Amino acid sequence: MKFLPTLSALTILLAASSSWAETKPQRVFNAETFTLSNGMEVVVVPNHRAPVVTHMVWYKVGAADEPQGDGVSGAAHFLEHLMFKGSKAVAPGEFSRLIRSLGGEDNAFTSWDFTAYFQSISKTYLPTVMALEADRMININPPAKDVETELPVIIEERRQRTDNDPRALFMEQLRAVMFNTSPYGIPIIGWRDEMPKLTWQHAHDYYKTWYAPNNAILIVSGDITAEQLKPLAEKYYGFIPSKPIPAHIRPAVPEFSAEQRLTLRHADIRQPALIRGWRVPSFQQNPEVSYNLQVLEELISSGSATRLYQALVVKQKLASSVDLSYDGDNRGDGSLWLYAEPVPGVTLEKLETAIEQEFSAIIKDGFTDEELAKAKTRLIDSAIYARDSVAGPAMIIGQAMSAGATLEDIETWPAKIQAVERSGVEDVMKTFLDPRTTTSKAVTGYMLPEKETP
Amino acid sequence: MMPKLGLICLLLFICVWPVSARAGILNIQEVVTPKGLKVWLVEDHTVPVISLKFAFKHSGAVNDPADKQGLARLLSNTLDEGAGDLDSKAFQGQLNDLSISLIFSSTRDDFGGGLKTLSKNRDAAFNLLKLALTSPRFDQEAIERMREANLSRIRSDMTDPEWMVARIMNDELFKQHPYAMNSGGTLTSLEKITATDLRKKVKEQLTRDRLLISIAGDIRQEDVSAIIDGIFGDLPETAAALDVAPAPFPAGQTSVLFKKDIPQSVIQIALPGIAQHDPDYFAAEIMNYTLGGAGFGSRLTEVVREQRGLTYGIYSGLTEMDFAQTLNIGSSTKNTSVNELIDLTKAELLKMTNQPITADELNSAKTYLIGSVPLDLTSTDSITSYMLGFQASNLPKNYLDIREAGLKAVTATDVQRVAKRLFNPEQMLTIIVGNPDNFTASKTVTQLPNVE
Repeated sequence: MKFLPTLSALTILLAASSSWAETKPQRVFNAETFTLSNGMEVVVVPNHRAPVVTHMVWYKVGAADEPQGDGVSGAAHFLEHLMFKGSKAVAPGEFSRLIRSLGGEDNAFTSWDFTAYFQSISKTYLPTVMALEADRMININPPAKDVETELPVIIEERRQRTDNDPRALFMEQLRAVMFNTSPYGIPIIGWRDEMPKLTWQHAHDYYKTWYAPNNAILIVSGDITAEQLKPLAEKYYGFIPSKPIPAHIRPAVPEFSAEQRLTLRHADIRQPALIRGWRVPSFQQNPEVSYNLQVLEELISSGSATRLYQALVVKQKLASSVDLSYDGDNRGDGSLWLYAEPVPGVTLEKLETAIEQEFSAIIKDGFTDEELAKAKTRLIDSAIYARDSVAGPAMIIGQAMSAGATLEDIETWPAKIQAVERSGVEDVMKTFLDPRTTTSKAVTGYMLPEKETP
Repeated sequence: MMPKLGLICLLLFICVWPVSARAGILNIQEVVTPKGLKVWLVEDHTVPVISLKFAFKHSGAVNDPADKQGLARLLSNTLDEGAGDLDSKAFQGQLNDLSISLIFSSTRDDFGGGLKTLSKNRDAAFNLLKLALTSPRFDQEAIERMREANLSRIRSDMTDPEWMVARIMNDELFKQHPYAMNSGGTLTSLEKITATDLRKKVKEQLTRDRLLISIAGDIRQEDVSAIIDGIFGDLPETAAALDVAPAPFPAGQTSVLFKKDIPQSVIQIALPGIAQHDPDYFAAEIMNYTLGGAGFGSRLTEVVREQRGLTYGIYSGLTEMDFAQTLNIGSSTKNTSVNELIDLTKAELLKMTNQPITADELNSAKTYLIGSVPLDLTSTDSITSYMLGFQASNLPKNYLDIREAGLKAVTATDVQRVAKRLFNPEQMLTIIVGNPDNFTASKTVTQLPNVE
């Protein structure tokens, strides 16, 4: 579990408690949870600020669970689109039109480990959206002509997000190298040459295999209580039969001994950049390491007053930006990503060496207790800000729980961060970022303009 | 007739609107401080968070000298880079250590900022903001660093087709008007900006007569005056009036192509827009929603995406600035479908002028445009954004109630009338970046305007 990268990605904020050290441990959201008889987990986040709710269904399955080796990719995301294309009871496109005409917003998104559908709407219409969402959990039935027009839509989506942008294509390639045998190396939307082969059969097989109440989490945030939600959840979702869910396969990536370096030279790159990614444990794989990595990221790369920016941008003046981020909300491997842009006249080689030297210096000298305390306070304070929203908490809880965290893990997150020790943070820095031992395990990318080096 | 009454009401600022006896959608209080500053306030103690947003009206990028484009932007980047005795690291360190978010920003029209803090750190937060506004340091080191960050941003953006299309659109739309300038600065103009320029802008344009302030969250009304006068009370009193003429919409049906070898063309279309104070504004909101504002359910999405699979997204939106208003349509499609997408879009515009929208479309638009507002009023930050938006557009505190009544009164005939008014085939500007098949542009561009 790791909140912050998610938040920036989804433009939401995360939360925790501030005067934490001195006062009694506070729970982040004070959410309540219960489970329906068919195994569907339910989480309620009461927030009575406005008479609105955010209703989300998170399927604990994503692009990484697609069949491997069939020469097709992108079925999970294609299915997400087809979920809007009608059921036996609802006409294609009617779902979203109806939500809009009730003054609500709706959308959906797919990741490697989860697929989520949400509506934000006046609480009056909560039963309506629950009925609609439950319907498409079992009754999806898009007409062939709508399947046919949706395939070019997702191909245009890929062009817009990836094929039009050499930087996005390069990131896709870096991930493919880093995750190698793992499905995390396959783009969620699918490979350009594999997407055209997608059919209703691929989406439907995936739907039949994975979409079930016992593989889903219902999260309702807003002007409602668990007591009010319980009968509604039983009524709309409780009758849907559960089914056996296959294991989620997340293969271990082999350790190769040769360094993995990629260089992209492209006319559309005017600003060179250095990218490095490391595979590291996710929260699910190792909670303790994950908490240490969360504090490490905050400590060395959070704003212009912290270590990496101060060393490389302010003091050495080699970079115009530098950022390290940790992604740990996954069933399988998590990752750390470094992104840095050199100032004109500085080569990527020089910048890379300077960053490695800074890492080595940190490993040699360690951190101060003051730095550690400040980083932990900032993280814990962020949990208070996270409560200042209706949709935000549902996003945070859904993402963490669909990767395997419990609601208790999320609610007690500030206490776990508070308990992180300096030695633990120094250990993960040494284990995962020591240039002498980890560079060969990382993947390093150089993005450069077509001709002369900067 | 309701919209007309609404306008009169706005002009006279008396606004006894015959809505209903119930509480307003957003109950804003106004506080006038002893130093004469007007503050809008929504008290809400749900979360121990305070959000303060402010803007200096007409102090934005519209003032940038042509050879120093990006001045307002660079000011927004450097105001929080040290003030008083605190250098950049000390200032940013305090913000960071106290989990305070302080952001300065500039639109074309206004220069503003936002402060978000936990209640427990509010005094320090207010002090840091005051310090930034009243004694910014503009150390050379910080200026150079922020200049470099901006140059790096431009180098990254200048090959991004969506950014390119927006840049060309601004240039074509506003021609000789100050709005045509690049508010983010150019690779050469940023180099010319000095600490003296930044100081001068602060002194001459960040003045109390231009100041709009909204505050929300965990704060009591009786504390507001002292806080606001403490932060802003010592700023210079007045600025010279801004002398800018309205930007006319360019005549003619023009299409501009920037040829670029990418698999998908990015398309933006601009048409004349409508001012928020216009009696037909509410009808225009409904027209825009039905045309393309809704996403799913809108006519453009239905025809271009759902029926033909030509795009991932097609949207329309109304933009209001102080000296120009536009209606924009944006989309992207593979190079072989550009003509088809544009033809379909034009056909939908024509249809909107030829016949009234259906009763279902009218009702659906009204329910959404009214019903979705509370969804946005669920965080302290979004509440201050709404309030400051109303202040910046010179709208009254109960605008959401006025808008609700105004939207309810709109008829299908009103919508058709406003469509006829805005969709004139002789006033339409299309910009394309990509490599479209068989597309005949009235103008080809090979250099991005105001970038290098």
